[in-house]
Amino acid sequence: MDFELSAEDAAFRDEIKTWLEEHRDRIDETSRETAEYGGKALELHRAWEKELYNGGWAGVAWPKEHGGRDASLFQQAIFTEEYVRANAPDRINRLGLGLIGPTLMVYGNEVQKKDHLARILTCDEIWCQGFSEPGAGSDLAALRTRAIRDGDDFVINGQKVWTSQASYSDWIFLLVRTDTEAPKHEGITFILVDMKSPGIEVRPMVQINGKAGFAETFFTDVRVPASNVVDKVNNGWKVAMATLGFERGTGLGSPVVFNRQWKQLVELTRETPRYDGVAADDPDIRRRIAQGFIETRVFELTSKRVLSQLSKGKSLGPEASLSKLYWSEMEARMAELELDTLGPRAELATGSPDGGEWYSQYLYARASTIYAGTSEVQKNIIAQRVLGLPKE
Amino acid sequence: MDFDFSDEQYMLRDSVRDFLQKDCTPAEVRRIWEDDTGRSPERWKKLGEMGVLGLTIPEADGGAGMDEVDLVLLLEEAGRNLLPEPLLEHTAVGAPLLARAGSEAQKAEWLPRATTGQATISIGLAGQPYVQDATADVVIIEENGELHAATQDRLSLTPLKSVDGARRLFKVTAELDDATRMSSANGQAQWAFDHASAATAAELVGVADAMLQRTIAYAKEREQFGRKIGSFQGIQHKLAETFLLVESAKSAVYYAAYALARGLDDAPIHVSVAKAYAGDAERRANYEALQIHGGIGFTWEHDLHLWLKRGRALEAQYGDSDWHRRRIADWVYAAG
Repeated sequence: MDFELSAEDAAFRDEIKTWLEEHRDRIDETSRETAEYGGKALELHRAWEKELYNGGWAGVAWPKEHGGRDASLFQQAIFTEEYVRANAPDRINRLGLGLIGPTLMVYGNEVQKKDHLARILTCDEIWCQGFSEPGAGSDLAALRTRAIRDGDDFVINGQKVWTSQASYSDWIFLLVRTDTEAPKHEGITFILVDMKSPGIEVRPMVQINGKAGFAETFFTDVRVPASNVVDKVNNGWKVAMATLGFERGTGLGSPVVFNRQWKQLVELTRETPRYDGVAADDPDIRRRIAQGFIETRVFELTSKRVLSQLSKGKSLGPEASLSKLYWSEMEARMAELELDTLGPRAELATGSPDGGEWYSQYLYARASTIYAGTSEVQKNIIAQRVLGLPKE
Repeated sequence: MDFDFSDEQYMLRDSVRDFLQKDCTPAEVRRIWEDDTGRSPERWKKLGEMGVLGLTIPEADGGAGMDEVDLVLLLEEAGRNLLPEPLLEHTAVGAPLLARAGSEAQKAEWLPRATTGQATISIGLAGQPYVQDATADVVIIEENGELHAATQDRLSLTPLKSVDGARRLFKVTAELDDATRMSSANGQAQWAFDHASAATAAELVGVADAMLQRTIAYAKEREQFGRKIGSFQGIQHKLAETFLLVESAKSAVYYAAYALARGLDDAPIHVSVAKAYAGDAERRANYEALQIHGGIGFTWEHDLHLWLKRGRALEAQYGDSDWHRRRIADWVYAAG
């Protein structure tokens, strides 16, 4: 047991830190803009991703043969830590780099890897995810978007929903039903679709925070080459499970984000008036701040324990659900404490120290126990696949 | 960076686990409940032979000279198997404390024998209403901020009955003077408290894990409404949540051991994280274990209550979860 960084990892940390410092102005300029607003903002973010690519930082986790840095798991964690600390811009191609890229490395054919991996890395292809449907949320395998073979193409009809980043994505990875007779998990195909294909319509949806973020995506007689199928026709469920594993595993929920959020929360309790003093005087608030410290600390430690085991060759299976369940529930609790600290000021969209910003963070936290598999789905996975309890 | 134990540490854990599973069964724990002394000298001697009792005693004093990280998995096993004997008081705190703060004469007299188990050392720290295993050869007593190593001729003991029949508690009055006094410099009493807290957290994790595993096994075999109760989502979600808490508590407990072993400045805070989290995790496991066992778990005949009572007792030792949260909050708000 040893928490000291190796010389190699320490050098890696210095390298990314220095690089980020050298790009301070670019970072500030880009971080101010939100890619969702499109236009100049989007171009700034694309240019930032290119800059990361040029610096060799676009695919830290990716293997060298696909243009990545092939960094160890600890180095990936170090990269994320420093990136977040520097307040560097949100990664607009997270789904490309974190989900479809790794999926193609495992299940894609040589042509698909050649066509897409390099372009994901350079951010010439931004990707979005087409899994959920109005009738297929937690029960993903109930999806009904149809793909019917017609010559060398599939013709796709149906609707996807909660498509994040759909308005500016170049490609979408899609789950479609190719066999309506087979049991529901066995008639699904994983296919790659160019968002410029005729017949795709994106209707942005406004989220409860008042911002655009996800969309409904409609497919009407969209023709897609059959060569875009990943792995085999009707074998898409297996591919999708690998993709979701990447999502729950390392793609989301970095300890450094929560540590920073907790520190901001401590400051908030020091500044916010409460009764005759400030919130930090209130024993109940103090107890919950301590609990927040405990939970963020334990999350960071557990993440390191998992990384240590992974780096010795143990593979992360359904255990990824433990991490997702932990951090999403913790994030929701922390957000509750933020609003409780602000008290009646919390509801003020403007005119409070920054009530609006805290409220927005709170709403995002409310989403975290829903996306990437609801807490209830994660508990089912833990119970049945980790603890070995019988299926219903 | 490696947050894991070595192969040797796991091997030692496995050998202690194997021994306790054979030697310290629930039936044996029940026998201990009814026994006058409540202790098995044979088991204690065997733990000495296995190198467990002297693990944290310096090599110069006849021990193995190992540290908190080497010990933490063994404390977890002590909790898991409801070990009645005072491994926590003796090996996690008393013996290494005597090595740190005792006089040369005290060390020479007691530490070699503490290594083999011929002598037992217990502790009575400030704020505790009783001393566990006060019948030990030496009891290290904290009084007015000072530490004393008191032998039996200095002590008068009144037994107190614990709800957990394996915990042997005594009200202690002691005659303390210059002859019993140990060095109290460099925060030795604080050292003792933090080590006792961290070790209790490790035992709590073992107790919690044992209750959880027994309950999972029960949910896989018990049938109601024509199906295994473990197939009900209401049961599955309770067990999944409890499992997450217990696994997470292990991270906190192992890191606290590391922080103590390395003498990190903020080790007391990591101890508080571990004790608070492990206490909460055990409380949840305790609650769900009985709830899921249902009526049978409420019977004296079923073994579950042996763990329920040990866990509930340990929650309150060396600062409960709320006490440790308060210590963390004071530290947070004192800084900057």
